[in-house]
Amino acid sequence: MRSNDALPAAAGLGLRAPHVKHVLASRPPVAWFEVHSENYFAGGGPALDALERIRSSYPLSLHGVGLSLGSTDPLSRMHLDKLARLIARVEPALVSEHLCWCGVGGRHFNDLLPLPFTAAALANICAHIDEAQHCLGREIAVENVSAYVAFDDSTMCEWEFVAEIVRRTGCKLLLDVNNVYVNSVNHDFEADRYLAAMPVDAIAEIHLAGFEASDACLIDTHGAPVAPEVWALYRKTIARIGPRPTLIEWDVDIPDFAVLEAEAETAAAVLADGHAVAA
Amino acid sequence: MPSLREIQQRFAGDIAAGSTIAPTFVRTSGTSTGERMAVYCRTIRANYRNAMSATYPAVRRIVGTLSFNAAVDAYVDAHPSRCGDLNEYGDAFGDFLHGYAEADELPYLRDVARLEWAIDEAHRAAEPALAPEAVLTALSHVAAGALPELHLGLEPSCRLVASAFPLLRIWQVNQADYDGDLRVDFTAGPHLLRIRRDRNAGSSEGADGARIMIERIDAGHHEWLSAIAQGLTLAQSLERAVDTDPVFDLQAALQKFIGDGSIDRIGHDPRASPRSGADSVTGLEALRD
Repeated sequence: MRSNDALPAAAGLGLRAPHVKHVLASRPPVAWFEVHSENYFAGGGPALDALERIRSSYPLSLHGVGLSLGSTDPLSRMHLDKLARLIARVEPALVSEHLCWCGVGGRHFNDLLPLPFTAAALANICAHIDEAQHCLGREIAVENVSAYVAFDDSTMCEWEFVAEIVRRTGCKLLLDVNNVYVNSVNHDFEADRYLAAMPVDAIAEIHLAGFEASDACLIDTHGAPVAPEVWALYRKTIARIGPRPTLIEWDVDIPDFAVLEAEAETAAAVLADGHAVAA
Repeated sequence: MPSLREIQQRFAGDIAAGSTIAPTFVRTSGTSTGERMAVYCRTIRANYRNAMSATYPAVRRIVGTLSFNAAVDAYVDAHPSRCGDLNEYGDAFGDFLHGYAEADELPYLRDVARLEWAIDEAHRAAEPALAPEAVLTALSHVAAGALPELHLGLEPSCRLVASAFPLLRIWQVNQADYDGDLRVDFTAGPHLLRIRRDRNAGSSEGADGARIMIERIDAGHHEWLSAIAQGLTLAQSLERAVDTDPVFDLQAALQKFIGDGSIDRIGHDPRASPRSGADSVTGLEALRD
């Protein structure tokens, strides 16, 4: 019997392969973990065994990177089936995906590609979210992504697009504060305006990660500490909406577990302030 | 105004071509839009290089990181991903390397890649259908007359790789933690290998603790297991094995490969339900009558 079925409004960590052994051996005091769903699509094996053992001690969030909700290709039934099998196996507290497309015409780029913010893109992704929620028999959360280009055809702002998706589909929102910041710089808008437009009740999880600056734009690398500007936005957000499950993501040049724990502690301190205000 | 599909197709075409020229439908903010498209190209390229070096560490070690990255880039162009799960990508890399001009002087490279893909698949395979004792029990209940038409099934992680080269040795000296004698006697082939995930080492070891067992097997056993993997009957697979090895001993082979868990199910037609032990045992019920 797993007693911890909901994601607590506390700081969690993205669990990556180099740290699995450490987590299993020492059971660190992390509030919850998130993994990339696709990394556990296998039919069996030690990675899945390890995840099940971690799940028996921690709440778990499954975060997908390959469903390609925004593509004009049909959703992959095989992908959905594998996700459903994994959900049945580990009973996650939350299942999430991205507001993006990953490929078209059968070709996958295995990356999170940007959408134009149009009525057609909105209708297409909402239909796919409906289909995914129907197939999986549960709500999913969708995450706003970083984008390096914008589209001439966009007829609405990104925050209008995101809010409308939540309104139409009844899905939850995984609010990535780093992505909001990155896009605010890349596309020259006020991050506060974006955050103010987010449907507060739908925010089921928050992501924090590090970006890198190139000559052209900010790049969402998940390979650095959370930037001071993003911490500031996060503090403001928590002060406004109250504490939410918050995840530290780090996917490239993965540091020692202690570095991740320190980032989580910073988030936990912000959440504690939020709890104090809420009380 | 282009449709969403047209936008995606053109965007995809530009990324696939590695274009750093901003497509017309992308908004120009300053002069960096082309460079911003290039960010996608670079990120995608790096993702595939990273994923493939995790799957093919020995190939990378043999050819060097620069050549490896170039080969991966060429492979991605020739065999684009069709799956949202990057873990499934790269199965044809060995065959691709075989025809890849830069790898001409390394004729064994294809086999190293095939071995590494087999190892990767073994890591991700489902659990066996039946334990050895259950397979032996089921076998003992098969009527003698039904034996020739019986199908056996290899457990999900079991893979066979045949190489004209001393493949296991080549692979071993190209492991990151190998610090022994680096010489390889290239005349010491062929190597016929059976690859499996060790069921007994897994659970206390963590995600990277899977032990993959790679064992050289003799030509008759290799032929017999290959025939089983292809879904041939016991009679057909025996014939193939005896053709390869006239002194092939079926009884001994059954003992060895059921005993060590390589064969995890028997029944009517394992291909009809390749991952379902229950169904193949049901098939067995029919054989008894």
